[in-house]
Amino acid sequence: MNEATKEKEGKSFLHSMVRAVGGEKLVLMGAIVVVFILFSSINKNFFSLTNIINLLVAASLVGLVAIGHTYLIIAAQNDLSPGSLAAFSGTLCALLVSLHIPFLPSILITLAAAAMVGLFNAAMVNKIKLDPFIATLVTQAILRGFAYIICDGKPVPISDPAFLYLGKARFLQIPVSVWIMIIAFVVFGFILAKTKFGRSIYAIGGNKDAARLAGLNPQKIITICFVMMGLFCGIGGIVFAARMNSGQPAANINLEFDAITAVILGGVSFTGGVGTMGGTVLGIILIQAFNTGLIMVNVPSFWQYVARGALLLFALTSDYLRKEKRRKNLLAASMKNA
Amino acid sequence: MEFSKSEPAKEDEQLGSTLEFKNISKYFPGVVALDDICFQAHSGEVLAFLGENGAGKSTLLKVLNGDYQPDKGQYLLDGVEKHFRTPHEAIEEGISVIYQERQILMELSVAENIYLGRMPANKMGVINIRQANKMAQKIISDFGLPISPQTKVKDLSIAYQQMVEIMKAYSRENLKVICFDEPTASLSDSEIQCLFDIIRKLKREDKIIIYVSHRMDELREITDKTAVFKDGRYVTTVANGEVSEKELIKMMVGRDLGDVYKNLDRDKTIGDVLLEVKNVSSDYVKENSFQLRRGEVLGFSGLVGAGRTELMRAIIGADHMRTGEVFLEGKKILNRSPKDAMDNGIVLVPEDRKMQGILANLSVKGNINISMLDQNSNQFGIMDPGKEEKTAAQGIQEFRIKTPSPDKKILELSGGNQQKCIVARWIATNPKVLILDEPTKGIDVGAKSEFYSMICAFAKQGLGVILISSELPEVIGLSDRIIIMKSLKIVGEVSHAEATEDRILSMSMIGGDNIHE
Repeated sequence: MNEATKEKEGKSFLHSMVRAVGGEKLVLMGAIVVVFILFSSINKNFFSLTNIINLLVAASLVGLVAIGHTYLIIAAQNDLSPGSLAAFSGTLCALLVSLHIPFLPSILITLAAAAMVGLFNAAMVNKIKLDPFIATLVTQAILRGFAYIICDGKPVPISDPAFLYLGKARFLQIPVSVWIMIIAFVVFGFILAKTKFGRSIYAIGGNKDAARLAGLNPQKIITICFVMMGLFCGIGGIVFAARMNSGQPAANINLEFDAITAVILGGVSFTGGVGTMGGTVLGIILIQAFNTGLIMVNVPSFWQYVARGALLLFALTSDYLRKEKRRKNLLAASMKNA
Repeated sequence: MEFSKSEPAKEDEQLGSTLEFKNISKYFPGVVALDDICFQAHSGEVLAFLGENGAGKSTLLKVLNGDYQPDKGQYLLDGVEKHFRTPHEAIEEGISVIYQERQILMELSVAENIYLGRMPANKMGVINIRQANKMAQKIISDFGLPISPQTKVKDLSIAYQQMVEIMKAYSRENLKVICFDEPTASLSDSEIQCLFDIIRKLKREDKIIIYVSHRMDELREITDKTAVFKDGRYVTTVANGEVSEKELIKMMVGRDLGDVYKNLDRDKTIGDVLLEVKNVSSDYVKENSFQLRRGEVLGFSGLVGAGRTELMRAIIGADHMRTGEVFLEGKKILNRSPKDAMDNGIVLVPEDRKMQGILANLSVKGNINISMLDQNSNQFGIMDPGKEEKTAAQGIQEFRIKTPSPDKKILELSGGNQQKCIVARWIATNPKVLILDEPTKGIDVGAKSEFYSMICAFAKQGLGVILISSELPEVIGLSDRIIIMKSLKIVGEVSHAEATEDRILSMSMIGGDNIHE
């Protein structure tokens, strides 16, 4: 085994690099480099420290949601409610604080509510066997409604200093929201790759029936994934409100759209069972650079929608091509074995 | 019964068409479904496809009707190579397959089904139902059937529903090839005669007829030639009467498994009661009771749909157990889910390997380890890669799983080796009761005999083994006792010594043990 790898390493540096990082991820990194060069050449400010930090701040909410989507989509689930839930959570937390409930209890109440939404999504999928796409479309609509209802349609200004500090605080020059995202990526990347829970997610995403017969509990795992997503939306929504200095009931529309695009770009298969957190990180960087770049080079906002749609189509097409490649490789391998 | 040669073959007619497969191969991950298949069929002739389950007949029909595209070889119709991408394209060229499962719409009338998608209509696209009924009536009269074109198909008997399908194919003017996939499976004797009359009519009209069945007497009566298939390969084509039925069976089975069973190192010491099942029922099975002893191989026989799989699923908690009790080593246990059953030491290797057994997205290692997540992780739920390697390596070695590496995707392996991975998965959990549901279905002969030795070895180690199998020689050859189920209930039991194929078959079909009557 060792000798074989040594031999391979000897062959070429490039080859071993492709093996270590994975060909698909290298392509993604290449795409990120291209996007950066392209936008920097049009707008000099694109590749500046300030802009990169801004880019990461902008990515922090969608990054958290993308972690939730990575888990859910690998488990062959999905969630369309994060945009509404994040807006609802931010608004709720701002509202509670404005009602003179201390900041910490307000956060806990908000997160409990967000977790309940996750439970509700899971119940629709597990108990009434709804397709997760349609089930979470229900919550998307309901929560957007509640976000407006609780504040009577008006943004809730935040005056609590602790709350405002959450949006402004920096550690080593990097804003708290970005730290939260980075820590979450590391922790949940580790859980996905190295733990029992992670293994179970791949198994039920590959074949739910077989996984159940093999002694796993798919309903429980799916429930945990939805609740996690709820909490990510809750945390992200609160931090977002802190950054905006107000709870915005109309905010975060299309949040799930960007998160799903990033996750699929990053190599998670839309049909479940395949993908890594590292891929999602790259996907998030690419999509955020893309979105920020479009604004900075003054692409009209209506056209930005078209560009986003095109990017999702590109992500899905590459997912299809990866699947075809896997299928062909399998066929070739099994013909060889036969 | 005489071989029917009353219908003269009109080979030299102008209308005559031919259908030929030259070296057709079809691969699926892990399986060579068709390997170098060749056959020729001529108009005015009934060609039988004969082969065991898994011989490749249904795949062949799917290639024939354009559902599957062959990976190699030539598909020739009247000498012209065809590349059908969809069944629709094949139908357009005059090739129809009548499947066992009805492909008709129950809520529509006979005429509407016959002319589905091509109803006579005026220029505006408005359907002329009277015209359709008239045209349908003509075909019905042609076929000599006592049904009305306006009857809804759901109100017809199964035999007439099948006739509607045949008429639908027949109503296309360019029909050249018509294939029947086990058409008599659910027909009575008189209905079979009616069907044969129609096949003879099609034959007189110079159609190419392909007839898939393993009922020997039918082949003798209705077909002219028989193409024999085995394990996805073409064996030979023989004309009716050329060889005896015994020889045909030998060609189709191609081996004598008798010796395999005789040479097995069977467990001769059977221990105390390990598992006791009392009045277990679910939504899918009636109340059933049985006992399994330590070191015993307990066979379950019965027709498809008799409830064998469903009984096991209720026992392991895969389906909700409505009534009854399960005792393991004298202690009452309750399995609410397969996980509970696994923790109690009862495990099931499911029948449908692809849909319920393997995790297709995972490697061999991942598949073997999936039921060992608790044992191979620490108290924080973090996996120990070393333990995972070890579990996989043990399984691969113990069951001689042929894989280039534990990290290969399980789908790259052959069907038999995939199945061994599932067995390895369960044996790693150190179970007390191993339930095998059709463990050798769709795997090649060599791997089958390996499985047989494995099953005997498990029994020797003191496991209780439950073996569900539809292959009678297999269940008789391996089991110490055989329980027979019919219509969701256990109807009888025979010991290894008393077991014969006739006896078990008659019990599974009639219910009682008529030997003693």
